[in-house]
Amino acid sequence: MPGSTPCSRRDFLRVGGLAAAGIAGVGVMVRSGRLLALPVPALGDPEVPNEIVAGILKNLFGDRPIRKGNISLDMPLVAEDGRVVPVFIESHLPMTAEQYVKAVHLIVDFNPDPHLAAYHLTPALGSVEIQTRIKMKRTTWVRAILETNTGDVWADYARVNVSLNGCG
Amino acid sequence: MTTTIGDARIRVPDRIVRGDIISVNSIISHPMDTGFFRTAEGEPIPAYFIKDVVVTYGGKEVARFEWTSGVSRDPVVRFTLKADQEAPLAMVWTDNRGGVFRRSINIAFA
Repeated sequence: MPGSTPCSRRDFLRVGGLAAAGIAGVGVMVRSGRLLALPVPALGDPEVPNEIVAGILKNLFGDRPIRKGNISLDMPLVAEDGRVVPVFIESHLPMTAEQYVKAVHLIVDFNPDPHLAAYHLTPALGSVEIQTRIKMKRTTWVRAILETNTGDVWADYARVNVSLNGCG
Repeated sequence: MTTTIGDARIRVPDRIVRGDIISVNSIISHPMDTGFFRTAEGEPIPAYFIKDVVVTYGGKEVARFEWTSGVSRDPVVRFTLKADQEAPLAMVWTDNRGGVFRRSINIAFA
């Protein structure tokens, strides 16, 4: 069987990825001078900045992978007034009785209370489109992470430059 | 401002056909104080914000939102709804001091 060779290309890549993750993990420990177990992001995803955000993600999604895709987060690149920053979240995933998006979480890394909002949804909504306005303390990554009824987790990220602190 | 805390509005399209996925716009008047600001006299302004929003359609819960004071003053939220019955669409906002604000509109087909 072609898939059962002792060291397939896929296995090789997986081991390589783990090794790279290990090295990156060591980097986090050395930089902060303490033992931190911050998850290592996939390539191109924002780094988890601290234990608070790590704890929120762990609480919500456990050890499930948070993959990028199937959701879009639209925010301005620059927010001149951090008191009122528009947010638009959209997903094209199905909203049927068998398959639906059951929750969308909005996390603002460097806000005093990073887990800003949770939207619990049902198939009765017909689609996933959420628009609101939030406060932001300073320039940071914003995470929109959805969870399906089957337990899949999908995310999108936006980096917003904040000129005026909206959190006091 | 002259608006009263808890004044709320829900807006849906004028013309709805059965089966449409409509856009629902809502706004409620609320200070959404974070607890981090002070008055000009230096007195702290305690946290005062809406923490929970429940949306029902025909008496059945279709969405529930958990908010913090990170949502902007006079919170707006827009979401979609599959209009498959002529029934009331109701929203209930609850704040961290136990204030409960309700608003309901009727979904009717053109």
